[in-house]
Amino acid sequence: MTLLSVEDLHTHFISRDLDNQIRTARALNGVSFSLDAGRILGLVGETGAGKSLTATSIMGLLRPPARVVGGRALFEGRDLLAMPEAEINALRGRDMALVVQSPKSSLDPLSRIGDQLIRIHRAHRKASERQARERAVQMLASLGIPDPSRRMQAWPHELSGGMAQRVLIALALMNEPRLLIADEPTTGLDVTVQAQILDLLRDLVRRTGIGAIIITHDLGVVAHYCDEMAVMYAGTIVESGPVRQVFAHPAHPYTANLIGATPERLKLGGARTVGGPPPNLFRLPEGCAYRDRCPQAGADCATSPPDVALGAGHIARCHRVAA
Amino acid sequence: MAGLLARRIILVVPLLAVILLFTFLLVRISGGDPVGLLAGPTATTEEIALVRASLALDQPIWVQFGVYMGKVLQGDLGNSWLSNRPVLAEILDRAPATIELMFWGVLIGAGIGIPAGLRAAFRPDGSFDQTTRFLSLLGFSVPTYWLGLIMLFVFFYLLGWAPPGMGRIDLFLTPPDRITGSYLIDGLLAADWEAAGSAFSQLVLPVLCVAIISAAPIIKQTRAIALEVLASDYIRYARAQGLPHGQIRAMALRNSMTPVVTFIGTEITGLVGTTSLIEYVFAWGGLGQYGLSAIIAGDFAVVQGYVLVLALFSVLVFLAVDVFVMLTEPRAGATP
Ligand SMILES: Nc1ncnc2c1ncn2[C@@H]1O[C@H](COP(=O)(O)OP(=O)(O)O)[C@@H](O)[C@H]1O
Ligand code: SF4
Ligand SMILES: [Mg+2]
Repeated sequence: MTLLSVEDLHTHFISRDLDNQIRTARALNGVSFSLDAGRILGLVGETGAGKSLTATSIMGLLRPPARVVGGRALFEGRDLLAMPEAEINALRGRDMALVVQSPKSSLDPLSRIGDQLIRIHRAHRKASERQARERAVQMLASLGIPDPSRRMQAWPHELSGGMAQRVLIALALMNEPRLLIADEPTTGLDVTVQAQILDLLRDLVRRTGIGAIIITHDLGVVAHYCDEMAVMYAGTIVESGPVRQVFAHPAHPYTANLIGATPERLKLGGARTVGGPPPNLFRLPEGCAYRDRCPQAGADCATSPPDVALGAGHIARCHRVAA
Repeated sequence: MAGLLARRIILVVPLLAVILLFTFLLVRISGGDPVGLLAGPTATTEEIALVRASLALDQPIWVQFGVYMGKVLQGDLGNSWLSNRPVLAEILDRAPATIELMFWGVLIGAGIGIPAGLRAAFRPDGSFDQTTRFLSLLGFSVPTYWLGLIMLFVFFYLLGWAPPGMGRIDLFLTPPDRITGSYLIDGLLAADWEAAGSAFSQLVLPVLCVAIISAAPIIKQTRAIALEVLASDYIRYARAQGLPHGQIRAMALRNSMTPVVTFIGTEITGLVGTTSLIEYVFAWGGLGQYGLSAIIAGDFAVVQGYVLVLALFSVLVFLAVDVFVMLTEPRAGATP
C-alpha cells in the first residue's frame, strides 16, 4: 500500500540580490518517488543534492526564501503541500516524524529528556502526565537505553551523540507515526553506534510496519539497510528502484559512476569527487543537469530526459536508457 | 549546587582585594601629596597631621595598603574635606536616591525593551520591527544630558505636567521618615500621601530618561538574541515535532532569557555613568551627582569611596547575574 507518493516536487530559493533582481535557485526540480508501508527507502546523493530539502519540503518545514513551487506529496492520499499550516502541524510529530542529523543541538537545552518526551506526546494525544511519563520510560527502554527512569532526568548536554540520537528516535516514535524520515541519522557517530542505530531503525520498521526514509550519502547504508533506493542529483531523482536491482544494474550514468567509483567503503563523503562539481542551482543547464559531467552526453541531452521504466519499479531518467 | 554557588561567591574576595588596591593607588599615583589630596586645600595644620598619621606614610607602601584595607573593612572611608563628614555616611545617605532611580528606570526599560525585542524578532522586518528599530536608534543617539533637558522643557515648561527638576520631593514638603530611603515607598509606608505623591511625580521624568536610555540597547539585543534562538536547531526541531506555536514561543522565550539577563547585567553597570548625568539635570542628589561633584572639586576621599562603591556595585550585579544563570541554565551545572 502506498504510504507516501511524491510527484514532481519543485522547491526554489527565491531571493533578491543586491541589484534588487530576483534570483531563483532551483534546488528541487521535479522530485518523484513513492514509499510503501513496511518498507525502507534510501534517499542517496552527494552533499547539496537536495535530500534534506526534499524532507523539509514534504513536511512543510520550509522557511523563506525556500518555497515549494510545484508538485504534490500525497501522504495516505492527502496532499501535504496543499494543507493549511495548522493541519500539517497536527500531523508532524504524530503521524509523520523526522529524525535529524544534529541530535544534540536539536533538543531543547532547557528541558529534561523526559519532559521533552512527555511534551511531544501530550501535544498530540490525550494523555495524562503520568500516562505520558510511563510511555516515555517504556520507549527509552525499548530503544535499548539503560536505566531509562534515570535518563528521563538527564539534560540534553549530558548525553553522548549516540544517546542523543536515540532520544530523537524516541521522540519521533512517541506517537506511533506511520512515516519516519531519518535525515543522515548516523553522520558523526562512530561506526559501532551507527550500526546500532540503523539496526534499531530496521527492526522497528519490520516490527511495526511503518514506512521509513533514510537519507544518507553513504551507499553502504543503502546497501545494508534499505529495500528501495532513490538517487538524487541536482534536485532530481535520477534513478530509483529496488536496492538489489539498482546495485546490480545501475542504469543512469551518474549512478553507475557512483557505484563504480566507491567499491570498497561505498562512501560518498563530501563527495564532489565523482567527475567535477555539481551544477550551479542558479544557472542549471537546459535539459539533463548531469550533462556537464556525463561521459555519455550527446546533443539530445539538451532536452529534458524522460523517466524510463525498466521493470520491477526500476526507473532511470536518461536519454541513453532503453526500456 | 550549594558548592558551586559558594565557589562563585568566594571568587568575589580576590576581586575585592584588586578593587581596593586600585582605589588605594588612585590617590597614590594621582600626582601630588596624598595627604594634601585627602585633607583638601582648606585643611588646618591639625587636620593635615591627623590625615598624615592615619595613612601610615612612614611605613612601606604595602603596610600602607594594609592599613587602608583594614580601615575600609571597618567602614572607614575617610572624611570629605568639603563637608567634613565621613564619606561612608554621605554615600549611605545618597545611595537610595540612585538605587530608586536606576531600579525603576531599568525595570521599565526592560519591561518595554524585552517584549518589544521579542515581538520584533517574531516578525523580522515587519512594521513593528521597523518602527522599534527606528525608535531604538533614536534612543541610542540622543545625548543623555540633552534628553533630560528636553524632557524638562516639554513636560515642565511647555505642558506643565511635571514638577521642576529640583530634587526628589517638593521643596516645601518634609520627606517621610527614613525606612527604605525611597521617598515614594517610605511615604506610602507612612501613609503620607502628599509626600508619596510628590515623590512619585518627581520620579517620573528622570525615571523615564533612564528607561528610554536603557530600553534602546535592550530592544536591540533582545531582538538579536531571540532571532538567533528562533533560527536554532532546537526551535526548528520543535516545529518538526508539531508542537503548538504557543509552546514553541515559550521555548524561544525561555532560551532567550539567560543571554538577555546577562546583557542587562552588563548594561546596568554601564548605566551608572548615564544616571549621574540625569541626576545632575534633575538635581537628584544621588550618588552619581555626589561623585561627579567630588571629581570636579578634587575631593579625593569621596572620589576614592565613590569608585569603590561603583566597583562593588558591579561586582554584586555580576554576582547576581551569575547566580541567576546558575539557577536557570542546566549547562551551568547547578540546576536543582
Ligand atoms: N538560501 C539558499 N539559497 C540558495 N540555495 C540554497 C539555500 N539554502 C540551501 N541552498 C541549496 O539547496 C540545496 C539543497 O540542500 P540540501 O537539501 O541541504 O542538500 P543535502 O541534504 O542533499 O546535502 C543545496 O545545493 C544548497 O546549496
Ligand atoms: S540524459 Fe544525457 S547527460 Fe543526462 S545522464 Fe543521460 S546521457 Fe548523461
Ligand atoms: Mg542534508
